[in-house]
Amino acid sequence: MIQSESEKKIENVCDLSYLSETMSGKKKLIKEMMDVFLQQIPEELQSINDAIIKTDYPTIKNFAHTMKSSVSIMGVSVLKPILEEMEDLGAKATDMEKIKQLNQKLNLICKQGIEEIEREKHNYI
Amino acid sequence: MMTKEKKINIFIVDDNKIFSIALKAQIETSFIKKPIKVYSFETGEACMKKFKEEEPQLVILDYHLNSNIPDAADGIKVLDWIKKKNSETNVIMLTSDDHIDIAVKSFKHGASDYVVKTETQFKKINYSLLNLFKMIEAKVEARRYKYIITGLGIGFALFVAGIIVIHIFRPSLLILPN
Repeated sequence: MIQSESEKKIENVCDLSYLSETMSGKKKLIKEMMDVFLQQIPEELQSINDAIIKTDYPTIKNFAHTMKSSVSIMGVSVLKPILEEMEDLGAKATDMEKIKQLNQKLNLICKQGIEEIEREKHNYI
Repeated sequence: MMTKEKKINIFIVDDNKIFSIALKAQIETSFIKKPIKVYSFETGEACMKKFKEEEPQLVILDYHLNSNIPDAADGIKVLDWIKKKNSETNVIMLTSDDHIDIAVKSFKHGASDYVVKTETQFKKINYSLLNLFKMIEAKVEARRYKYIITGLGIGFALFVAGIIVIHIFRPSLLILPN
Protein backbone atom coordinates (compact mmCIF):
# COMPACT_ATOMS: atom_id res chain seq x y z
CA MET A 1 0.00 0.00 0.00
CA ILE A 2 1.53 3.30 -1.06
CA GLN A 3 1.05 6.28 1.20
CA SER A 4 1.46 9.87 -0.04
CA GLU A 5 3.86 12.13 1.82
CA SER A 6 1.07 14.16 3.34
CA GLU A 7 -0.66 11.06 4.67
CA LYS A 8 2.41 9.76 6.49
CA LYS A 9 2.22 10.81 10.11
CA ILE A 10 5.15 11.16 12.39
CA GLU A 11 4.76 9.03 15.47
CA ASN A 12 3.42 10.90 18.50
CA VAL A 13 4.88 14.40 18.35
CA CYS A 14 4.14 15.25 21.98
CA ASP A 15 6.17 13.87 24.84
CA LEU A 16 4.15 14.51 27.96
CA SER A 17 6.76 13.07 30.31
CA TYR A 18 8.47 16.47 30.48
CA LEU A 19 5.21 18.22 31.39
CA SER A 20 4.35 15.54 33.91
CA GLU A 21 7.75 15.85 35.55
CA THR A 22 7.59 19.64 35.60
CA MET A 23 4.14 19.62 37.20
CA SER A 24 5.16 16.82 39.59
CA GLY A 25 2.43 14.60 38.15
CA LYS A 26 -0.35 16.87 39.38
CA LYS A 27 -3.29 16.10 37.10
CA LYS A 28 -5.13 19.35 37.67
CA LEU A 29 -2.08 21.42 36.72
CA ILE A 30 -1.31 19.25 33.72
CA LYS A 31 -4.86 19.62 32.45
CA GLU A 32 -4.68 23.38 32.94
CA MET A 33 -1.47 23.48 30.90
CA MET A 34 -3.11 21.41 28.16
CA ASP A 35 -6.08 23.79 28.03
CA VAL A 36 -3.78 26.80 27.69
CA PHE A 37 -1.78 25.00 24.99
CA LEU A 38 -4.92 24.15 23.02
CA GLN A 39 -5.99 27.79 23.15
CA GLN A 40 -2.61 29.44 22.60
CA ILE A 41 -1.09 27.36 19.79
CA PRO A 42 -3.88 27.97 17.21
CA GLU A 43 -3.61 31.71 17.99
CA GLU A 44 0.15 31.69 17.46
CA LEU A 45 -0.19 29.68 14.25
CA GLN A 46 -2.79 32.13 12.97
CA SER A 47 -0.47 35.04 13.75
CA ILE A 48 2.32 33.43 11.74
CA ASN A 49 -0.04 32.59 8.87
CA ASP A 50 -1.28 36.19 8.77
CA ALA A 51 2.28 37.52 8.94
CA ILE A 52 3.27 35.37 5.95
CA ILE A 53 0.36 36.74 3.91
CA LYS A 54 1.46 40.28 4.78
CA THR A 55 5.18 39.46 4.29
CA ASP A 56 5.71 40.68 7.86
CA TYR A 57 9.13 39.24 8.69
CA PRO A 58 9.43 40.73 12.22
CA THR A 59 6.15 39.16 13.31
CA ILE A 60 7.18 35.81 11.82
CA LYS A 61 10.42 36.04 13.75
CA ASN A 62 8.71 37.04 17.03
CA PHE A 63 6.09 34.31 16.92
CA ALA A 64 8.52 31.62 15.78
CA HIS A 65 10.61 32.63 18.78
CA THR A 66 7.63 32.51 21.16
CA MET A 67 6.41 29.17 19.86
CA LYS A 68 9.72 27.54 20.75
CA SER A 69 8.84 27.94 24.43
CA SER A 70 5.18 26.99 23.95
CA VAL A 71 5.82 23.70 22.15
CA SER A 72 8.77 22.75 24.35
CA ILE A 73 6.45 22.49 27.38
CA MET A 74 4.58 19.68 25.59
CA GLY A 75 7.83 18.05 24.52
CA VAL A 76 7.31 18.69 20.79
CA SER A 77 11.05 18.61 20.11
CA VAL A 78 10.61 17.93 16.38
CA LEU A 79 9.46 21.54 15.95
CA LYS A 80 12.58 23.09 17.45
CA PRO A 81 14.73 23.12 14.29
CA ILE A 82 11.76 24.26 12.17
CA LEU A 83 10.99 27.19 14.45
CA GLU A 84 14.66 28.11 14.77
CA GLU A 85 15.00 28.26 11.01
CA MET A 86 11.80 30.30 10.66
CA GLU A 87 13.03 32.68 13.33
CA ASP A 88 16.39 33.01 11.63
CA LEU A 89 14.84 33.68 8.21
CA GLY A 90 12.41 36.11 9.80
CA ALA A 91 15.29 37.98 11.41
CA LYS A 92 17.15 38.14 8.07
CA ALA A 93 13.90 39.09 6.27
CA THR A 94 14.63 36.66 3.50
CA ASP A 95 13.44 33.56 1.62
CA MET A 96 9.69 33.75 2.11
CA GLU A 97 9.27 30.60 0.03
CA LYS A 98 11.34 28.61 2.49
CA ILE A 99 9.36 30.15 5.38
CA LYS A 100 6.13 29.02 3.69
CA GLN A 101 7.46 25.46 3.37
CA LEU A 102 8.51 25.43 7.02
CA ASN A 103 5.15 26.89 8.01
CA GLN A 104 3.36 24.03 6.24
CA LYS A 105 5.32 21.53 8.32
CA LEU A 106 4.71 23.61 11.43
CA ASN A 107 0.95 23.63 10.88
CA LEU A 108 0.89 19.89 10.13
CA ILE A 109 2.85 18.94 13.24
CA CYS A 110 0.91 21.34 15.46
CA LYS A 111 -2.35 19.92 14.14
CA GLN A 112 -1.20 16.44 15.10
CA GLY A 113 0.02 17.70 18.46
CA ILE A 114 -3.33 19.31 19.17
CA GLU A 115 -5.14 16.06 18.32
CA GLU A 116 -2.85 14.14 20.66
CA ILE A 117 -3.39 16.58 23.50
CA GLU A 118 -7.17 16.50 22.95
CA ARG A 119 -7.06 12.71 23.32
CA GLU A 120 -4.73 12.74 26.33
CA LYS A 121 -6.70 15.40 28.16
CA HIS A 122 -9.29 12.85 29.21
CA ASN A 123 -6.69 11.05 31.30
CA TYR A 124 -6.22 14.14 33.43
CA ILE A 125 -9.75 14.93 34.49
CA MET B 1 14.84 31.35 68.75
CA MET B 2 12.16 30.94 66.01
CA THR B 3 11.77 33.86 63.63
CA LYS B 4 8.77 34.31 61.39
CA GLU B 5 9.83 34.18 57.74
CA LYS B 6 8.94 37.27 55.76
CA LYS B 7 6.86 36.68 52.61
CA ILE B 8 8.94 36.59 49.42
CA ASN B 9 7.24 38.07 46.36
CA ILE B 10 8.35 36.75 43.00
CA PHE B 11 7.39 38.32 39.68
CA ILE B 12 7.43 36.42 36.38
CA VAL B 13 7.49 38.66 33.31
CA ASP B 14 6.99 36.65 30.12
CA ASP B 15 4.69 37.19 27.15
CA ASN B 16 4.24 33.44 26.67
CA LYS B 17 1.24 32.38 28.76
CA ILE B 18 2.00 28.63 28.61
CA PHE B 19 5.51 29.18 29.83
CA SER B 20 4.45 31.59 32.60
CA ILE B 21 1.84 29.21 33.97
CA ALA B 22 4.26 26.28 33.84
CA LEU B 23 6.98 28.27 35.59
CA LYS B 24 4.62 29.62 38.28
CA ALA B 25 3.28 26.13 39.00
CA GLN B 26 6.77 24.70 39.05
CA ILE B 27 8.07 27.29 41.54
CA GLU B 28 5.05 26.96 43.84
CA THR B 29 5.40 23.17 43.82
CA SER B 30 9.17 23.09 44.30
CA PHE B 31 9.16 25.62 47.14
CA ILE B 32 5.89 24.69 48.81
CA LYS B 33 7.31 25.23 52.29
CA LYS B 34 8.63 28.69 51.53
CA PRO B 35 6.47 31.78 52.17
CA ILE B 36 6.44 32.81 48.51
CA LYS B 37 3.82 34.48 46.36
CA VAL B 38 4.22 34.40 42.58
CA TYR B 39 2.76 37.01 40.23
CA SER B 40 2.74 36.76 36.42
CA PHE B 41 2.83 39.61 33.92
CA GLU B 42 2.89 39.64 30.13
CA THR B 43 4.78 42.90 29.81
CA GLY B 44 7.31 44.95 31.74
CA GLU B 45 4.85 47.83 31.81
CA ALA B 46 2.28 45.70 33.67
CA CYS B 47 4.99 44.47 36.02
CA MET B 48 6.12 47.99 36.95
CA LYS B 49 2.56 49.03 37.83
CA LYS B 50 2.59 46.48 40.66
CA PHE B 51 6.25 46.82 41.53
CA LYS B 52 6.02 49.48 44.22
CA GLU B 53 3.01 47.86 45.88
CA GLU B 54 4.38 44.31 46.06
CA GLU B 55 8.15 45.01 46.31
CA PRO B 56 9.31 41.74 44.79
CA GLN B 57 12.61 40.34 45.99
CA LEU B 58 12.98 38.49 42.71
CA VAL B 59 11.90 39.11 39.12
CA ILE B 60 12.21 36.38 36.51
CA LEU B 61 12.29 38.38 33.30
CA ASP B 62 12.13 37.27 29.69
CA TYR B 63 14.44 39.06 27.28
CA HIS B 64 11.91 39.14 24.41
CA LEU B 65 8.56 40.58 25.45
CA ASN B 66 7.12 41.89 22.21
CA SER B 67 5.35 38.98 20.50
CA ASN B 68 1.82 39.97 21.59
CA ILE B 69 2.41 43.69 21.93
CA PRO B 70 5.05 44.81 19.39
CA ASP B 71 5.77 48.06 21.27
CA ALA B 72 6.32 46.39 24.63
CA ALA B 73 9.63 47.20 26.27
CA ASP B 74 12.32 44.54 25.96
CA GLY B 75 13.91 42.75 28.90
CA ILE B 76 16.91 45.06 29.20
CA LYS B 77 14.74 48.17 29.39
CA VAL B 78 12.54 46.52 32.03
CA LEU B 79 15.67 45.49 33.92
CA ASP B 80 16.79 49.12 33.95
CA TRP B 81 13.37 50.22 35.28
CA ILE B 82 13.54 47.62 38.04
CA LYS B 83 17.05 48.57 39.11
CA LYS B 84 16.08 52.23 39.14
CA LYS B 85 13.13 51.51 41.44
CA ASN B 86 15.09 49.16 43.69
CA SER B 87 18.70 48.24 43.00
CA GLU B 88 18.48 45.37 45.52
CA THR B 89 15.84 43.45 43.55
CA ASN B 90 17.31 40.25 42.13
CA VAL B 91 16.60 39.69 38.45
CA ILE B 92 17.01 36.44 36.55
CA MET B 93 17.05 37.08 32.81
CA LEU B 94 15.45 34.37 30.67
CA THR B 95 15.87 33.84 26.97
CA SER B 96 15.58 31.22 24.26
CA ASP B 97 18.67 32.68 22.58
CA ASP B 98 21.93 31.26 23.77
CA HIS B 99 24.01 34.27 22.77
CA ILE B 100 26.86 35.42 24.93
CA ASP B 101 26.23 39.06 24.11
CA ILE B 102 22.73 38.88 25.65
CA ALA B 103 24.20 37.33 28.79
CA VAL B 104 26.91 39.99 29.02
CA LYS B 105 24.38 42.78 28.41
CA SER B 106 22.08 41.38 31.08
CA PHE B 107 24.83 41.22 33.69
CA LYS B 108 26.06 44.69 32.76
CA HIS B 109 22.58 46.04 33.43
CA GLY B 110 22.45 44.36 36.81
CA ALA B 111 20.91 40.91 36.32
CA SER B 112 21.84 38.42 39.05
CA ASP B 113 21.61 35.42 36.76
CA TYR B 114 20.92 34.39 33.19
CA VAL B 115 19.04 31.24 32.16
CA VAL B 116 18.61 29.89 28.63
CA LYS B 117 15.24 28.28 27.94
CA THR B 118 16.11 24.64 27.30
CA GLU B 119 14.86 21.29 28.61
CA THR B 120 16.63 22.00 31.91
CA GLN B 121 15.27 25.55 32.26
CA PHE B 122 13.17 24.83 35.34
CA LYS B 123 15.99 23.06 37.13
CA LYS B 124 18.30 26.01 36.46
CA ILE B 125 15.71 28.49 37.70
CA ASN B 126 15.13 26.37 40.82
CA TYR B 127 18.87 26.35 41.47
CA SER B 128 18.96 30.15 41.14
CA LEU B 129 16.01 30.44 43.50
CA LEU B 130 17.67 28.17 46.06
CA ASN B 131 20.72 30.41 46.04
CA LEU B 132 18.52 33.46 46.36
CA PHE B 133 16.66 32.06 49.37
CA LYS B 134 19.97 31.20 51.02
CA MET B 135 21.14 34.75 50.40
CA ILE B 136 17.95 36.23 51.84
CA GLU B 137 18.23 34.00 54.93
CA ALA B 138 21.89 34.93 55.33
CA LYS B 139 21.00 38.65 55.14
CA VAL B 140 18.28 38.19 57.76
CA GLU B 141 20.71 36.32 60.05
CA ALA B 142 23.41 38.94 59.49
CA ARG B 143 20.94 41.69 60.36
CA ARG B 144 19.91 39.83 63.53
CA TYR B 145 23.52 39.39 64.65
CA LYS B 146 24.16 43.04 63.87
CA TYR B 147 21.32 44.03 66.22
CA ILE B 148 22.61 41.66 68.92
CA ILE B 149 26.15 42.99 68.67
CA THR B 150 24.94 46.58 68.60
CA GLY B 151 22.81 45.85 71.65
CA LEU B 152 25.72 44.25 73.47
CA GLY B 153 27.95 47.14 72.50
CA ILE B 154 25.49 49.69 73.82
CA GLY B 155 25.00 47.62 76.97
CA PHE B 156 28.73 47.44 77.58
CA ALA B 157 29.14 51.16 76.92
CA LEU B 158 26.39 51.93 79.43
CA PHE B 159 28.04 49.65 81.96
CA VAL B 160 31.41 51.40 81.57
CA ALA B 161 29.72 54.82 81.70
CA GLY B 162 27.96 53.74 84.88
CA ILE B 163 31.26 52.71 86.47
CA ILE B 164 32.83 56.06 85.53
CA VAL B 165 29.91 58.04 86.95
CA ILE B 166 30.03 56.07 90.20
CA HIS B 167 33.79 56.53 90.37
CA ILE B 168 33.36 60.31 90.05
CA PHE B 169 30.41 60.84 92.40
CA ARG B 170 30.53 57.89 94.81
CA PRO B 171 34.05 56.43 94.65
CA SER B 172 33.51 54.78 98.03
CA LEU B 173 31.07 52.37 96.40
CA LEU B 174 33.86 51.00 94.27
CA ILE B 175 36.30 50.33 97.13
CA LEU B 176 36.57 46.60 97.80
CA PRO B 177 36.57 45.55 101.48
CA ASN B 178 39.86 44.08 102.78
